[in-house]
Amino acid sequence: MAVSMERFVLPGESLDAEYLPSHPTLPLKLGPGLRHIPPNTITPTVAGQLCSDKRKNAVWVEFNGGRYIPTVGDLVIATINRPSPEFYYASLSDYAPQATLPNLSFEGASRKTRPQLQPGALVYARVSLANKHMDPELECVSSSTGKSDGLGPLNGGMLFTISLGMARRLMLPRPAEQGRVVVLDEFGAAGVSFEIAVGRNGKLWVDSTSLKTTLAIGKAIQETDLKGLNPEEQKKLARKSMKDF
Amino acid sequence: MAQSMSIAVPGQLLGPANESLPGPGTHIHDSNLYASILGPITKTNPPKPLGPPKRLTKIIPAAPTPLSTVSIERNIAAGHAKDGSKAKAEILPEVNSTVLCRVTRIQPRQASVAILVVGETVLDGEWQGLIRVQDVRATEKDKVKIFESFRPGDIVRAVVISLGDQSNYYLSTASNILGVIMATSEAGNAMYPVSWKEYKDPETGASESRKVAKPF
Repeated sequence: MAVSMERFVLPGESLDAEYLPSHPTLPLKLGPGLRHIPPNTITPTVAGQLCSDKRKNAVWVEFNGGRYIPTVGDLVIATINRPSPEFYYASLSDYAPQATLPNLSFEGASRKTRPQLQPGALVYARVSLANKHMDPELECVSSSTGKSDGLGPLNGGMLFTISLGMARRLMLPRPAEQGRVVVLDEFGAAGVSFEIAVGRNGKLWVDSTSLKTTLAIGKAIQETDLKGLNPEEQKKLARKSMKDF
Repeated sequence: MAQSMSIAVPGQLLGPANESLPGPGTHIHDSNLYASILGPITKTNPPKPLGPPKRLTKIIPAAPTPLSTVSIERNIAAGHAKDGSKAKAEILPEVNSTVLCRVTRIQPRQASVAILVVGETVLDGEWQGLIRVQDVRATEKDKVKIFESFRPGDIVRAVVISLGDQSNYYLSTASNILGVIMATSEAGNAMYPVSWKEYKDPETGASESRKVAKPF
């Protein structure tokens, strides 16, 4: 992925064509933060760094907003609030409308056998419907294949809140080199066994053999996020927290 | 037609049921006539009955004296209309009447609308209506997605299927001639219908899904 970061943009700026990638065959794909005003104006709608990918001919604005806006296809960690005869009402973020998760939207679920989720339970789900007119809807099973692909309830472990930018970095194909997050590799190399799940809504779920390691890993990611640690500092932080166990 | 200027409040006793006939805006309870809505009381005198025809060989009992009709008008201003010029007849949506409405809210199972026009009459106030997801189309009712049929702000031609409950009429668009007649795109431009399920924005070229009414 040949991602290049060009420059900082402000909302409403006019973009010269030289900042936009060109490709002989693929059409230009606009990602979040950009808007096309016909016939040929492309303006940013948020303040951030303009990034482009020459291989996919895509351009977008990388910005760290505080509010998660549900988008179809996103993988999120939802907290069940209450059940109802047909759906679970789950919360994706505070102070935002609740999302609905159909009772039967789990792998192998029928009317007789379906997971009984308690309020407060966590699920790893995909956003199936999101638009500005309606409350978002989730699914824990792929609608085409009927398989869960890793979606479903998350048992045990602990939930941490991280910024949306950190969540995106963790969800990159190679977080260590593309997102510069090496703290998890440090823990893994030292022999700590753990499992994590990252939701694009700024939530991180960590499960490990002991509470100490779970807390250490979660806090390490939060500190990397909050203080903007570079890989060197992340390694120091990992070694420091591993001194306890 | 005698007009009384007194205003009745809902639940007000208007008289015994054997003295007058109930008209619009009133109801009978325990053999008494009560007002159902807030408005001026109007009493319309029935036409005078003809006397029995003159026959010397047969006695026909007289027809029962017809009763006057008591009704409450919906528009308070109508009660103050000058004599001779009655305010325009109040049109209410009835079952099977075609209405034009504007979509106010969409939810996964229903679309809330505000009824603006009944038949050919533009209403003064708006009535609330609901279009349930199973009443959007006549075929494949379980596969309907409200987001692909209506959007807030669309103007829809629908037919009333039920007077419903206290808050909503129930409408249906399950016919070729029913559905969205005017729609605005996400970019803010008026769109043209392309097929029974698509509207197109002429300026951006983008298509949006709707349940489109057949234009005639």
